[in-house]
Amino acid sequence: MPVAPDVTHPRLSVVVPLFNEEENVALLVAAVRDALDGDPSWELVLVDDGSTDRTAAVAEAAGSDPRVRTVRLARNYGQTLAMQAGFDQARGAVVVSMDGDLQNDPRDIPRLVATLDSGYDLVAGYRERRQDKVLTRKIPSWVANRIILTLTGVRVRDNGCSLKAYRRATLERMHLYSDMHRFLPAFAAATAGARITEIPVQHHARRFGKSKYGLSRIFKLLADLLTLMMLAWFRERPLALFGLPALLALGLGVGFLGWSAVAMQRFRLEVANAYVLPAAALLWILLACYLLMLGLVGEVALRRARELEPELLPIAVERPA
Amino acid sequence: MSESRPDVTVIVPVVERPVPLVALYREFSEPLKQAGRTYEFIFAAYPWYRHLTDALGELSAQGEPVRLIEVMQSVGETALIKLAAYSARGAVLVTLPAYLQTEASALPALLARVEAGADLAVVWRWPRRDSLINRLQNRMLHLLVGGITGGRLHDVACGVRAMRSEVVQEVPLYGEFARFLPLLAQREGFDVEEVQSPVHPAAMRGRVYGPGVYLRRLIDVVGLLFLLKFTEKPLRFFGLIGSLLSGLGALLLAVLFIQRLTGQPLADRPILLLAVLLMVLGIQAVALGLIGEMIVHLTASQRRRYRVRSAPRRPARPEAA
Repeated sequence: MPVAPDVTHPRLSVVVPLFNEEENVALLVAAVRDALDGDPSWELVLVDDGSTDRTAAVAEAAGSDPRVRTVRLARNYGQTLAMQAGFDQARGAVVVSMDGDLQNDPRDIPRLVATLDSGYDLVAGYRERRQDKVLTRKIPSWVANRIILTLTGVRVRDNGCSLKAYRRATLERMHLYSDMHRFLPAFAAATAGARITEIPVQHHARRFGKSKYGLSRIFKLLADLLTLMMLAWFRERPLALFGLPALLALGLGVGFLGWSAVAMQRFRLEVANAYVLPAAALLWILLACYLLMLGLVGEVALRRARELEPELLPIAVERPA
Repeated sequence: MSESRPDVTVIVPVVERPVPLVALYREFSEPLKQAGRTYEFIFAAYPWYRHLTDALGELSAQGEPVRLIEVMQSVGETALIKLAAYSARGAVLVTLPAYLQTEASALPALLARVEAGADLAVVWRWPRRDSLINRLQNRMLHLLVGGITGGRLHDVACGVRAMRSEVVQEVPLYGEFARFLPLLAQREGFDVEEVQSPVHPAAMRGRVYGPGVYLRRLIDVVGLLFLLKFTEKPLRFFGLIGSLLSGLGALLLAVLFIQRLTGQPLADRPILLLAVLLMVLGIQAVALGLIGEMIVHLTASQRRRYRVRSAPRRPARPEAA
């Protein structure tokens, strides 16, 4: 006898952010339903990210199936926040995210979940035979992946692939903002200590609609990565973050002072030596003081935040000693 | 309270160059009365405006629906509006500056627009028959604000607007940002519409303010720019400034160093100071951006960064361009 689907406590939540995908929504829902046919306990969370076409209407029409839910955002917030909205709504112990443009294949979901169950917190899909334009999509993506790998050291070859599986506990420890979805595995590793692996997934060419990304902007990526590295290394000790550069600046200041001393010895108190070098030295020392004070501000902010909301304990497993 | 809720609460924050309040009340309540609407007026004022607010007593003695909230410290227009909105009983809120901006006939028109489904309706003072100086100033403000926001509203500076009470509750308002309420509401995904109404005859005369007022407006607009573009990603703003500054400084240093190698002495060149100063400034900017990012990250779990749309009030239609 078939078991009635448990709609309120699904084990698996599939989260799909949608922006102007009216042709794709119905196909997407059908594809997910087919792919998860054997799974008794799943839900599909569609997030309409302020679409200007009929996406929301089509998605809500699909809601006749109690396993399909739609969240409508008030405006277009971008993919990162749309995903976060979906994660906030998801009720499953395992959450899978994917794109709404049918380029990902829902039939990969069971494999992602199985891999997650074998002992990981995040499983990223990578597109083995990517069906996209080389110049505008593949090359920028390759550059971005290289930069992310070099700076974060997190080994994921395809950060741009949305098809990923997460444990609920991991998602609860990370709060996405800005464009953090662009390097979500590294973000998860930095802020939630996630154990990460990757498996190949299918990739189809776009059938309807237009692609939403253009050439990614390297500067924004670099700024976001700098933030990420700060979070990874100095999240709990802002004073160290600023203290180290402060020491460096102090060293430069002392160096300049010494240099001016030597110069004055050798050339006998020339006006320029007496002013330019010591003044430059003072600037470096000023910077050191300023950075130290900023570090203290960081400590204040950290303490305030922890007072307002104690952080979730990190994920840990007990193993036989 | 036994009396039924009025259709509309008109909130009058008494801050800038207020006109006699009784005359204001009579002028602006008249069209509401004629349109057959029930209303209440809430005046929010400081104790030092008693010479104006004392006269309101005679209105309420005559049974007019007038309330007065006296605020004991100077808190700014935003806080006055929020305070009054908190105790408002009307289904729709109207904000009305305590000086004359637009003709009184605008109120029923605004009210009708909100009741027809808009979240917020704001007066667009058109046609402008007032002095060239006023129009020129208004034009300048719009050039500035339009450059930042894309300029989808024609009259940002008009304080006469009607809204659902949830708009005041859900749009994050503080400081001087009540001035930009329609813009911020639009950004939160609320449906904002404009209603044309002529300039009030009393506001025709050209008005020139002191330099301090223009300076404050400019600061407000810069604050708005930062609020709209960078509050979620401060490092993109400070990082850009910082990398430009320290890049320039490093370039200067490199030039000086090469010249030193070719035999020109370095220690007596004041431009060395400029190079070091630029680098120090740049590093400071980046450090500030990092502190900003840290604060954003630390508070990420406590903030609601997106708004979910409630059940649709009217059929979906394409967003106004």
